[in-house]
Amino acid sequence: MPKKYHIHSKVTPLNLDYVFKFKIERGENCINCGKCTKVCIYEAHKRGKDGDTRKMADPNTVVCKNCFRCIQECPRGALEKSLDKDFLNIGGGYWKPDMFITLWKQAEDGKVPVTGAGYRGPFTGPGFDSMWTDMSEIVRPTRDGIHGREYISTSVELGRKLNHLTFDEKGKLLSKIHDTIDIPIPIIFDFPKENLSPNVKVALVRAAAELNTCIVLSADDIKADIKKYIKNIIPLISHKEIDKHQGLIKSVRFVALDYDEEILSTLPALQDKIKKINNVLTIIRIPATKSVEAIVSKLAQSGAEIIHVVADYRGQENNDSADQNRRLAKDIIRAVHLKLVEDRIRDEVTIIFSGGIAMAEHVPKAMLCGADLIAIDLPLLIALGARLYEEPEKIIVFPEGLEKIAVRTVMQRIINLMGAWHSQLLEVMGAMGIREARRLRGETGRAIFFEEIDNDTFGKLFKKRETANI
Amino acid sequence: MKPSTVKIKKMPSRFKHQVPKYKITRSDACINCGTCAKSCPYGVHERVEGHNRTKAPINYKCIGFECKNNDFYCIAKCPRKALSISLNPMYETLGDYRWTADIITATWIMAETGYPPERKDLEYNTGNSGGGFDKLRLKFPAGQPKINKLEISTEIPLNRRNDGRANVIISTPVYGGGMSFGSVSLPTMISKARNASLWNTFTCTGEGGYPELLQPYNDHVITQVATGLFGVREETIQRVKIVEFKYAQGAKPGLGGHLLGEKNTESVARMREAVQGTSLFSPFPFHSVYSIEDHKKHIDWIKEINPNALVSVKVSTPNDVDMVAVGSYYAGAHIIHIDGGYGGTGAAPDIAKKNIAMPIEYAIMKVHNFLKEEGARDAITLIASGGIRTAHDLAKAICLGADGAVIGTAELVSLECVRCGNCESGRGCARGIASTDSELSDLFNEEWATQRLVNMYHAWNVQLIEILQKFGMKSVRELVGRTDLLEHIDYSKPH
Repeated sequence: MPKKYHIHSKVTPLNLDYVFKFKIERGENCINCGKCTKVCIYEAHKRGKDGDTRKMADPNTVVCKNCFRCIQECPRGALEKSLDKDFLNIGGGYWKPDMFITLWKQAEDGKVPVTGAGYRGPFTGPGFDSMWTDMSEIVRPTRDGIHGREYISTSVELGRKLNHLTFDEKGKLLSKIHDTIDIPIPIIFDFPKENLSPNVKVALVRAAAELNTCIVLSADDIKADIKKYIKNIIPLISHKEIDKHQGLIKSVRFVALDYDEEILSTLPALQDKIKKINNVLTIIRIPATKSVEAIVSKLAQSGAEIIHVVADYRGQENNDSADQNRRLAKDIIRAVHLKLVEDRIRDEVTIIFSGGIAMAEHVPKAMLCGADLIAIDLPLLIALGARLYEEPEKIIVFPEGLEKIAVRTVMQRIINLMGAWHSQLLEVMGAMGIREARRLRGETGRAIFFEEIDNDTFGKLFKKRETANI
Repeated sequence: MKPSTVKIKKMPSRFKHQVPKYKITRSDACINCGTCAKSCPYGVHERVEGHNRTKAPINYKCIGFECKNNDFYCIAKCPRKALSISLNPMYETLGDYRWTADIITATWIMAETGYPPERKDLEYNTGNSGGGFDKLRLKFPAGQPKINKLEISTEIPLNRRNDGRANVIISTPVYGGGMSFGSVSLPTMISKARNASLWNTFTCTGEGGYPELLQPYNDHVITQVATGLFGVREETIQRVKIVEFKYAQGAKPGLGGHLLGEKNTESVARMREAVQGTSLFSPFPFHSVYSIEDHKKHIDWIKEINPNALVSVKVSTPNDVDMVAVGSYYAGAHIIHIDGGYGGTGAAPDIAKKNIAMPIEYAIMKVHNFLKEEGARDAITLIASGGIRTAHDLAKAICLGADGAVIGTAELVSLECVRCGNCESGRGCARGIASTDSELSDLFNEEWATQRLVNMYHAWNVQLIEILQKFGMKSVRELVGRTDLLEHIDYSKPH
């Protein structure tokens, strides 16, 4: 049996100013009796305001788990609780405040988020929130061990594949098999557009190397300090600058080209030109516009090896129309996948999707919709304590002092996050009884889509839907 | 109708305060005249003789804005206009989309009084999830009901196979879900069993063994056989009327169970025949069942050991849940229990709860219709769980095709669970419900907890009877599969 892929998580707290969900305030009618200290099992209440042990200190809301015991047992009803305003303001319509808390936690301990007492969210929502993954009640003896994980592989293969093999009369193989590259998780890192401090940049690259995946970086950002990890770096260049970056191309395994219309007409030649410099795989990076599936199909037919479809940071189509007219990740991926299936070329090309991938569940969901793998950027920064605000315009706030944190610590946080996501991917695949991540791709039969099932159930009982639910 | 063993008795909260929906603010203009204390019949205001200041308002006792029509409304009565009322920001920290603060508060009132709340300001029939039960409404006919409430029966039979096994009938179409000893405290478990016995229904051991203290209630306990086989012995199977096979659970379909080492205390370990302090895994799947034929072998095995018991099969809700249900019927099960993803009382990965397998609302109809098509529906009992929060959810589930429901979270909320979701960590439940920590599990006694459960079951039964009365039905059996009595607020009028 080949060596098992394992992500080594390690508890790595980062003492930066996080936001917490609950705020408890002690009213003036507190009589300093200390009942709250006795009842709180999380030690949110302690004596010693300004060093005076006769007085109760301000509640430590960081540890509050919302059990209400202090609120309900205070003899004077002197404690008040509310949702913290900073918490409510963070993120926006897509990046929900709760996502930050769970991403921070995963980056700290690398564990699968677990809570008690049932699911508490909405029934359904836009995009990925309107689909469920399937499970198998009775499975065949293909699985073993505690979670049946030992045999689950999360690795995916990148590169061009043949539709079929051809042989000559003597049975000799005529087809030339293309080179492909395996990575052990269906996730690569995408370059964050923000100005990153040097330690963060190095840590991102080193984490990608440690996880045996890759990171897309602008060619100009590839400096001496990360050259050591060049095999895990995917330089992003313009197709006009291939000659200029010959040296770089010679040292990497992949190169990414920013899409423009010229590429469409010159593609086979461009790829050949790169191949002459070095036998690398070419990724064409294309924004998810209205007609993206048509362009992807043309690129695939012109011999593209890997196509990276990039939606905006909320997983929406890139165009200027109003939000409700922009397709969401789920639908963009499905459209691209189905177009390629229709054109009978889906199996020959690798599709990477990025944009709006915010939680572990989005990885298997994007793959079920038809992506081979996904790329992430913002979760990597949030893992370091960064906060994102969607309104009035997208802004990322890094925690103060982040630039002074050791590379090792920053890198471990990213590894932890990926460890937690990897474990969650295994949970979902285990429940489905799917043992290979590459088999998730486009496997919509193992997904349940809200629109379809709601129509199959309630649509049969009641007349056509009057209002969209989402 | 309630069995004669059920006695309703007021059983107040074990805490001094409850979570307030409103906030009364007293400004500096107050002259401590005590008018508010004299007029408020709910006890929000108190002025102790000899004190020169009126006490801080006790917010949770306030009935809210609806009070303004009363002539004792404190805000209007105050001669100095020193009082004002607003929604309490604290209320937002209670509950969630599915179990709203209103549903939790109403369930607490039901557990305290035995009746649905009289207050009009609580929306406790539907939650805020924006789908499924929360978008379905019961469509009552116009006109006055002609049926006497006393004639309405809420009984359902559980054995519909006519196979000579026990003819088990429960008095209300609800029973308690499986919560293992270890995941909940002993007082919680025993109170559930006592309530089940008073209500002539059932509770389930969950997968954690059969504590000896449950023996007096054997006729009302379902023993669960799950993949870890913790605490399963021949005698535990022989002493009960129903044995439940748990293939999967809705909150973590396909994942199995996991009791953290911290919660595996000495008594838990003894019960489960395991080593104290080690994490205990209940694997997925049953490694003795790889086909529907193996499943029949399983059921035959139980039937052989206990010749009188009914067999229930608990599964979650994948796409092919209808096939699984029919397979279970052919394998000889009496009850098919489908568990949706929105329930679950113990710890489960968030990713599983939210994403794996379909919501129970869809699964009930799918299974009911498929069993009907196969001609098997009348010979098997269909039980739904995983997201049944209120009596209205129960009625809707029955309209969709279930015979009855299993509830878990509603029972815990009756015992004053706030759904903080920290059942799994450290010492467990801060409120002593889901904890085996010696100090925490002593936070309430069985008398209190049993009465709270009896009261809540009663409040549900009262509401169910009201619903049946409005529909002009004499038995809850008539409601099964009556989707024509439902409407969905996202769709237009039915065909």
